[in-house]
Amino acid sequence: MTTPALEITNLNKRFGGLPATKDVSLRVMPGERRLIIGPNGAGKTTIFNLITGDLTPDSGSVKLFGRELLGMPTQDRVHLGLARTYQILTLFPRENLIHNVVLALLGLKRLRWNPWSVLSGHADIYRDARAALDQVGLGDSAERIVLETSYGERRRLELAMALAQKPKLLLLDEPLAGLSHAERQTVRELLDTIPRDVTIVMIEHDMDTALGFAERITLLHYGEVIVEGTRAEVVADPRTREVYLGD
Amino acid sequence: MNRRTIIAIAVAAVCLLAVPRLIVNEFYVNLASQVLIYALFALSVNLMLGYGGMVSLGHAAYLGVAGYTCILLTIAGYDQLLAAAAAVALSTAFAVLFGVLSLRAPGLGFIMITLAIGQIVWGVAYRYNDLTGGDNGLRHPERPMPFGFDIRDAESFYYFTLIVFAIAFFFLWRFDRSPFGASLMGTRDQPRRMRMLGHNVYLVRLLTFTFAGFWASIASILYVYYNLFLSPHALALQQSAEILLMAILGGASSLTGPIVGAAIITLVKNVVSSYVERWNTLLGVVFVAVIIFMPYGLVPGCRELWRRYQARRRTDAPDRKQTSEPAA
Repeated sequence: MTTPALEITNLNKRFGGLPATKDVSLRVMPGERRLIIGPNGAGKTTIFNLITGDLTPDSGSVKLFGRELLGMPTQDRVHLGLARTYQILTLFPRENLIHNVVLALLGLKRLRWNPWSVLSGHADIYRDARAALDQVGLGDSAERIVLETSYGERRRLELAMALAQKPKLLLLDEPLAGLSHAERQTVRELLDTIPRDVTIVMIEHDMDTALGFAERITLLHYGEVIVEGTRAEVVADPRTREVYLGD
Repeated sequence: MNRRTIIAIAVAAVCLLAVPRLIVNEFYVNLASQVLIYALFALSVNLMLGYGGMVSLGHAAYLGVAGYTCILLTIAGYDQLLAAAAAVALSTAFAVLFGVLSLRAPGLGFIMITLAIGQIVWGVAYRYNDLTGGDNGLRHPERPMPFGFDIRDAESFYYFTLIVFAIAFFFLWRFDRSPFGASLMGTRDQPRRMRMLGHNVYLVRLLTFTFAGFWASIASILYVYYNLFLSPHALALQQSAEILLMAILGGASSLTGPIVGAAIITLVKNVVSSYVERWNTLLGVVFVAVIIFMPYGLVPGCRELWRRYQARRRTDAPDRKQTSEPAA
């Protein structure tokens, strides 16, 4: 049996008395596209934060390709092939787009410790960064400052930064949020072009666009996994209708 | 490096080299040396402040550790070069410790710990009479003879300081555009995101702390050579605050800002104070005015004014082809 790309076992996290995740277990196989849905406050983003190490769980285990992540600093997890985008954009607003991607690329290179060489002289990094921007259709905007770009462009920049790192497991936190219908289609098509050696876990509210993307869907409610299965199974399940679709 | 930068560096170099020729008065030549020494202090604190977003109120501690070590070793009969090198090494090692302690707390806590460590060093210097001479301070026997050059008079000491300053500035200029510099500025703006991109934010900050401590130690050695004397007054909180103000006044977000800030504050302190009794008030007024009209400091503020002036000239002559300057 192949090792799951992501294996979460009995993950618990409480904020004070409030359980944010309750005994969450999740297995995502390599190359899979997994969608996590659930109403606001269901603990979706909390799970992402537990996977990346922004939060420390009270108990449980998170494994990336069989490697235990808990107790490991965030940056070390990234070096193992973990990347994520944020629901609330966290970019470097005063820098231009390409510099944002360069910072992402630097994160995995030893060069980032070099206080002497001139960064702009490293043509290879800028070439890779430009390729990542091309991939999300921002190649022509590389020199623009983030503050001068539209929301949709920033969302795509978030993706470019994650993709530039060539991750093994990519966590997408509502990559379609706040986008117009046309933009959503563009980003959806973009997601379809990501090769299958990248495993993707996506949180998304927009069911219409997102459902088609994932093979398997996990429904969370009050920090618990309520339903998990194929697209058809989850949509047909009465509990899904109850919790999410509002019956 | 574009043509404008080369011209700017050339002009600055010629001016700095010509200082002792233009102003023959020994007092002013000495003042120029002081400006360079303080500029190096301000540049080093700005590595943390401007690039890393870390406000340190304990920067004078390096003057204490490096300064007293250098003097004590020289008095003990060690070779001048050895004494200076040992002082810088010890003080840089102290910077690592200083950093480890301060970086335990974010934000305001960080400032308070740096303040406390600065005060501890001051307290030791003030109270440990047997070692530091307490309030009376310590006298450095004499200036060294680096490579056989005599730097006892004002002019040659100025050139000595200028050489050290130029080397330091060259390193900091490279730092400014290096991958590490870019990572550091990233950790200032989005520490959480930087971690998620694989950067070790803590280590980036600690290394910056150490870099800053190293250059502050170099500046401290120059300070001791210049004054040939060190007392606890030089390590007081006011010293740390003044160095910080220099960086903020000139513009913490720019490479050259701290130099401008150091020049202004040193000149006001030493020159204007002989004409205006309330020079401290004047300094305060200057500071408040700059913060109101140029919140990012003088150098970025003037740059912005120049950019606006250029933009207006362009719109006045719309038929002229627009030339966009690549961002430095």
